Amino acid sequence: MEQASSVMRLLEFADSTFPVGTFSFSNALESAVVEGVVHDVDTLESFTKAVADQSSFTDGVASQIAYRAVLGEDYERLLAADRQVDMLKLNAESRLMLTRMGKKMAELSIHIFDNGMMNRWSKDIAEGNAPGTYPIAQAITFAACHITAFDLFCAQQYGVMNMVLSAALRCMKVSHFDTQRILFKLSSNVMDDFVVVSQMDFEEMNAFVPEVDILSSIHEKGKMRMFMS
Amino acid sequence: MKDFSVIKEVQPYLNEPKAMYVGAPGKRGVLKLGFELDAEGKSIMRDWFRNAPLIVQQELYFDEEMPEMPCVYILSSGGPNVDGDRYEQEFTVRKNAYAFISTGASTKIAEMIYNYSGMTQTFLLEENAYLEYLPEPLIPCHNSRFICDTTITLHPSATLFYSEVYMPGRTHYREGERFLYDIISVCTRAERPDGGALFREKFIVRPKLKSPERVGIMDNYDVFANVLVLTPKNHLEALFEKTKAFIDKEKGLAAGITRLPNGCGLLYKVLGKETEPVKKIIREFCSSVRMEVKGKSLPAEFPWR
Repeated sequence: MEQASSVMRLLEFADSTFPVGTFSFSNALESAVVEGVVHDVDTLESFTKAVADQSSFTDGVASQIAYRAVLGEDYERLLAADRQVDMLKLNAESRLMLTRMGKKMAELSIHIFDNGMMNRWSKDIAEGNAPGTYPIAQAITFAACHITAFDLFCAQQYGVMNMVLSAALRCMKVSHFDTQRILFKLSSNVMDDFVVVSQMDFEEMNAFVPEVDILSSIHEKGKMRMFMS
Repeated sequence: MKDFSVIKEVQPYLNEPKAMYVGAPGKRGVLKLGFELDAEGKSIMRDWFRNAPLIVQQELYFDEEMPEMPCVYILSSGGPNVDGDRYEQEFTVRKNAYAFISTGASTKIAEMIYNYSGMTQTFLLEENAYLEYLPEPLIPCHNSRFICDTTITLHPSATLFYSEVYMPGRTHYREGERFLYDIISVCTRAERPDGGALFREKFIVRPKLKSPERVGIMDNYDVFANVLVLTPKNHLEALFEKTKAFIDKEKGLAAGITRLPNGCGLLYKVLGKETEPVKKIIREFCSSVRMEVKGKSLPAEFPWR
């Protein structure tokens, strides 16, 4: 019975209509399209893969550590994970995206169910003691709803890929058929990445996406914008 | 010296070289440079401990736009970094002092079989200190491995301009060498003197496991530069506003700037197809930083550099 319920929770929290504002962000795809860096299905797939990889080895790592901290009732470790996400997210728009979505998810979770760890974390965000990043909000919510660590990782990867691909449908010439094919293809290696990510610690979190970083900066300094990142 | 052997990505490269062992004389370069104001208020290099193959000569005052600036070139008497080399660089700029540090030539990372080349760097900038650190590019040859760990401790009133330029290999050697190295792993962290963490950046490039020649990563570019400007908040916004983010397809050049966490500074990234335009844009950015902080520009680069 509990398993059926946790699957329902997973579907609810991973749904792109879960109101944390995912639709407002493109992860620099908007600039990539304007600059001609992403211009067809192949370049869209490569761009989506780069963004998903970046997320795996930074947000994904911190989220897994936070998930284990929730289960072990280690609040200080959870706070450390939150700070690491913020400190390692060097792009200002990405930091804004993660903290806005994190606070929104904390707010929603508190409205939906009662959890001591989420209440405490939310209070710390309000008092400026915690950045309030999205991967940590997901970790607390998923652990509280008995969703597995692997499912948490899948939901995050799905969320990041879907964010980029949904934005693509609105800002470039690409069909739903192609975006679904990309999503299906890129999801194939999620288990391999999970095995690596779930064994990583803070010091190992890493990212190398210089072109995405430059595109984010172009978006941050630009005036034309459909998306917030 | 950081113990790199505990780092996961270094694990495949821990065999002892068959020639000179790790840390043998001539394979462990140490440099400890300290700059401070002397009794007359002149910025001088007070401390200069060096252990070959890392060497420096006495500071020179050749900067025509800022003749009071002590300038130091780091040289490596051993040629390229070879299998099992370890380097340790410590730079201290004391209260109100300032300095410029570069390298005499590119740092070549030679082909390796057993081990890796590791470098630990620490930067300590005291109150109102100012340091420009612009080394020549790093060139990782076929099958090479380079691991670098940098810790920056900076007073809120100090300014550090720190740049790194990475080539994909020896691009004009034989058919051209691009992303044929084993690994580059670079970790940089900054903190305040009281221990307050500011940011951390770590990137690992393993071209044989995952090609960086993809959209979103290096795409069609060859040269990657990472520039940190850690400076007081009153300089930060002006520098952010005047620095352009762009992609110039004709010139094969792209650059972007963003604000670092905790209001501690800026991160400027540059991609290029050739080294010279990338170096030029970094110098222009450095000139802009110097103008903002010191009211002076950077002189034109020497024609032989």
